[in-house]
Amino acid sequence: MKAAASLADLDTFAELGSVGSGQPLGVLDGIPIAVKDNFNTAGIETTCASNMLKGYISPYNATVVQKLLDQGAVLLGKTNLDEFAMGSGSTDGVFGPVRNPWSYSRQYKEKYVPKSFSEDGESNWVITGGSSGGSAAAVSSFTCFAALGSDTGGSTRNPAAHCGVVGLKPTYGLISRHGLIPLVNSMDVPGILTRCVDDAAVVLGSLAGHDPKDSTTIQDNFKPFELPDLPDVSKLSIGIPKEYQAPGLSSEILALWSKAADLFKHAGAKVTEVSLPHTRYSIVCYHVLCTAEVASNMARFDGLEYGHRSDMNKSTESMYAATRREGFNDVVRGRILSGNYFLLKQNYENYFIKAQKVRRLIANDFLKVFRSGVDILLTPTTLSDAVPYIEFLKEDNRTRSAQDDILTQAANMAGLPAINVPAALSERGLPIGLQFIGRSFQEKQLLTVAKWFEKQVKFPMIQLEEVKRHNHDVFQHQRSASFS
Amino acid sequence: MAAVAARGCGGVWRRAWQHGAGGPGPSPCGRRAAASSARGGAVPVGKSGLAPWVPVVGLEIHAQISSNSKLFSGSQVQFAAPPNSLVSFFDASLPGTLPVLNRRCVEAAVMTGLALNCSINKKSLFDRKHYFYADLPAGYQITQQRVPIAVNGSLSYSLCIDNKMSQMVTKTVRIKQIQLEQDSGKSLHDDTRSQTLVDLNRAGVGLMEVVMEPDMCCGEEAAAAVRELQLILQTLGSSQAVMAEGQLRVDANVSVHHPGEPYGVRTEVKNINSIRFLAKAVDYEIQRQIEELENGGTILNETRAFDSKLGCTVPMRDKEGKQDYRFMPEPNLPPLILYDAKSLPANMNHQQVINIDWIHERLPDLPSVTRAKLVERYGILPEHSFALLNEDGLTEFFENVVKQTQMKPKKVIGWILNVLLSYLKQHSLTVKESPVSSVLMADLLNLLEKKEISSTAAKQVMAIKAGNLKVLNKLIGLVQRETQGRSNPVLVKQLLEKKLSE
Amino acid sequence: MAGHRCIELVPQAVTVEVLDHLEQLALVDFRDAEGVERLRKAIQFADQLHEVNTDGVEPMDSVLEDRCLYLREDDVTEGNCANELLKNAREKVEEYFVAPPGNIPLPKLEERETFLKGS
Repeated sequence: MKAAASLADLDTFAELGSVGSGQPLGVLDGIPIAVKDNFNTAGIETTCASNMLKGYISPYNATVVQKLLDQGAVLLGKTNLDEFAMGSGSTDGVFGPVRNPWSYSRQYKEKYVPKSFSEDGESNWVITGGSSGGSAAAVSSFTCFAALGSDTGGSTRNPAAHCGVVGLKPTYGLISRHGLIPLVNSMDVPGILTRCVDDAAVVLGSLAGHDPKDSTTIQDNFKPFELPDLPDVSKLSIGIPKEYQAPGLSSEILALWSKAADLFKHAGAKVTEVSLPHTRYSIVCYHVLCTAEVASNMARFDGLEYGHRSDMNKSTESMYAATRREGFNDVVRGRILSGNYFLLKQNYENYFIKAQKVRRLIANDFLKVFRSGVDILLTPTTLSDAVPYIEFLKEDNRTRSAQDDILTQAANMAGLPAINVPAALSERGLPIGLQFIGRSFQEKQLLTVAKWFEKQVKFPMIQLEEVKRHNHDVFQHQRSASFS
Repeated sequence: MAAVAARGCGGVWRRAWQHGAGGPGPSPCGRRAAASSARGGAVPVGKSGLAPWVPVVGLEIHAQISSNSKLFSGSQVQFAAPPNSLVSFFDASLPGTLPVLNRRCVEAAVMTGLALNCSINKKSLFDRKHYFYADLPAGYQITQQRVPIAVNGSLSYSLCIDNKMSQMVTKTVRIKQIQLEQDSGKSLHDDTRSQTLVDLNRAGVGLMEVVMEPDMCCGEEAAAAVRELQLILQTLGSSQAVMAEGQLRVDANVSVHHPGEPYGVRTEVKNINSIRFLAKAVDYEIQRQIEELENGGTILNETRAFDSKLGCTVPMRDKEGKQDYRFMPEPNLPPLILYDAKSLPANMNHQQVINIDWIHERLPDLPSVTRAKLVERYGILPEHSFALLNEDGLTEFFENVVKQTQMKPKKVIGWILNVLLSYLKQHSLTVKESPVSSVLMADLLNLLEKKEISSTAAKQVMAIKAGNLKVLNKLIGLVQRETQGRSNPVLVKQLLEKKLSE
Repeated sequence: MAGHRCIELVPQAVTVEVLDHLEQLALVDFRDAEGVERLRKAIQFADQLHEVNTDGVEPMDSVLEDRCLYLREDDVTEGNCANELLKNAREKVEEYFVAPPGNIPLPKLEERETFLKGS
């Protein structure tokens, strides 16, 4: 139900931001931001939407949170997610599902045709996608200027697509993960959700750079950049990977994708079909590597030093087992068990090493395409627009994740920067986004292309005022969907 | 000068005697058979007349790296401190924290690897080893399972035969690898209140695990190898290697087999906290296995603990062989890259570069080199050089005395090893605590050289200095006698006291 | 790539012994039949990897494999925060974290509260 897992009280805001202090602290001075609840925030509860961490107060700030605060940003609240970011709907957290603000937009209301007479407005609401659904909802509903998400297999880009906002997953190693509670360390990247590409560039400039607390951040200097006002794409080569015409891709997204390709063509860019032959296996590979790392990363949650602790006191092991039974939901426990299975001595070569080999093939596919002269890849972000919550519940978490991350996780496997740009509204009045994938550490080029595209498509603004006038109750939902 | 690795010591064991009636294992007394094997040939003939046994001993040694801060965090490394005061957020495994490698620990491992004639891997990797234990907060230990920092080395060590200093043999054990890894915290089991108190001060301290191939064949060899390693670590300063403080921990893998047959099932002996106990534990375990097998039993692949009070090994509760550590690459640490003069990149921040050649050039003299130099420079016997290095500070003491006396070093060494050291041992003093300074020792030896005092008198002075003041009066008497009553007893006493208090 | 060869891999049956082993290693239980089914499906899904020809391909740990690891100077910069740490621990004695008695393995399958007992 809630987008935000916790909300800092007003006193805390005053302390955190420079509100009223006179001197601006930085480019984000006084700017309201929201942070996904898997980033540590000193003195403010950090839960990962899990019983395991309910009430957990971290003694330190994640590096990205600290950097935002140092720039004068005001932390509005922590946003809801799937438990430990394991999911693609923002439906599988202990605080309940996140509702997509577009469910309460005039655009959706006007076009939505109830399938049966008995359906009332209450059951129509659509999911945000995930796992950074709370952050996407907060930005999309104008609750904040920007929000932090995390992106392991698409967790920033997927909800950005469903909520009609910009979702940037930077290159692995460009932004510190210190303080981000990990899902898959070798793929996690803090994500940036904003309403336009320029804003994403500003936030990226505040966050990027080496962090001595994260050995996977690169030591090269990062220079914040501004994007040109009139981007030129005429000299670019845009690749259209044919394998992204995945089974289940909706016809309207397919049409939108080819329209976008035409836009680039008309602007003088070279547009070519390219092949990333191992794409099909990427999601399988992701599944194995993800569960294996989850099995390992979740081992620290045993109730001894922090977090939930069971009352079972017979032995250390039985206390740990009971704590983990009580603290984790089915999805998390399921991934821990399959990850452990893949890491067993007898399965290690067959599954884990095999997946690591396939990962190299996937990364090499991208390398080859970029080496052939392609600058940017253009793909859909999701297979379809957001589905109603009641539809979404029909499949289990793993199956859903396999479908929902299918177009996004390959960029994580290869560590490449990727961005969702809202492109149009679907026939149902819901946002559809397209994804651009760039070369490693070529964020400036990626964002320049994204900005050009954004200017061409003129994605409509969400219209919530109408809702407010006509249905006060729904507006309440919308509010609660952003932070409460 | 890495000697060709000797495989096994050639020692062959037989069951030396039947153990007393009843007991399931050998009695803790009389494990003399062990020492004999170092001779590498003659063995006591077993009463049973069965085929001889070849014991095989390998060692896994954990040496705590001597550093200011831990392997992956900035918390302090210190032996005694209030519980959990030396713990960072990372050490306590707070979610979201990440490891950051300590440069000093890498350098210590490289130094140690070079000193043990290892090849240093230019690229090594970190892995996670998973198991649940109260003092392992993350649920895994970061170690180097796949590609450790150093491999394929050797260690030469010497030991004397039949406890005779004059018959020393030098042996070599192959070093399989040296890996960097995290230490665990400490669990204090409070059985009365049925709880475990967990102190994480030690959690995350840098360890070097040195794996020695099963090239040893008895407790004495294992002990001598570990003692040599300890001296090397202390010389390098890469570890303080004090066993009593847990800075050096040794696990022994022991098995026995008949010559020409494959190795037997091995057991792992843990809980060995001194070099003396290492020799005892290994010999006990060898004997136990021989007796077990000769009585028709089998050896289980198990972990056993050495009980130093009973002098025997006992099975440890373990996971019935079901443990599976589910190793996985540590995703938060990219490969550790080391350079040499050839591969050194020009444009890199030198603080981020570890140059193996640079470290190699700055290695101090290793004990074997120091010994050879002592033998050459002073003409002392090799076994004396071993004795000098065996006590911390004794070599310096010896050299200081030699500098200040006319007595020949060959004679000085006798006085130091036979007289001074035994007095110090009697009073449980270390060389650094010696009340007899090198200056006094030199003066005494000079007096002796000039025949102004007798050797008995010199010994008495040392004895007094070492604590026995009653001898002072006896000494005055001696001086009186030497001077045939011509000295003033009061003056003699004052002079002696002055000398003694120096 | 051998995607078209379409190898039909019969997923190895996951025995109760393996399930029991996993519960003991992971200290997480399957809870119900659905939990076991979830694992079976996860394995089946993963088995698609075997359609890919990876001969001669090196496994890839990280996209940063060619970059060298950052090294920290040996300075003491952290620690002395026992109180801060212990604040989040539910049970403590003085400055110690407290665990129940140690060195006691999880009970055997027959004596454990687990769904697997019935299977």
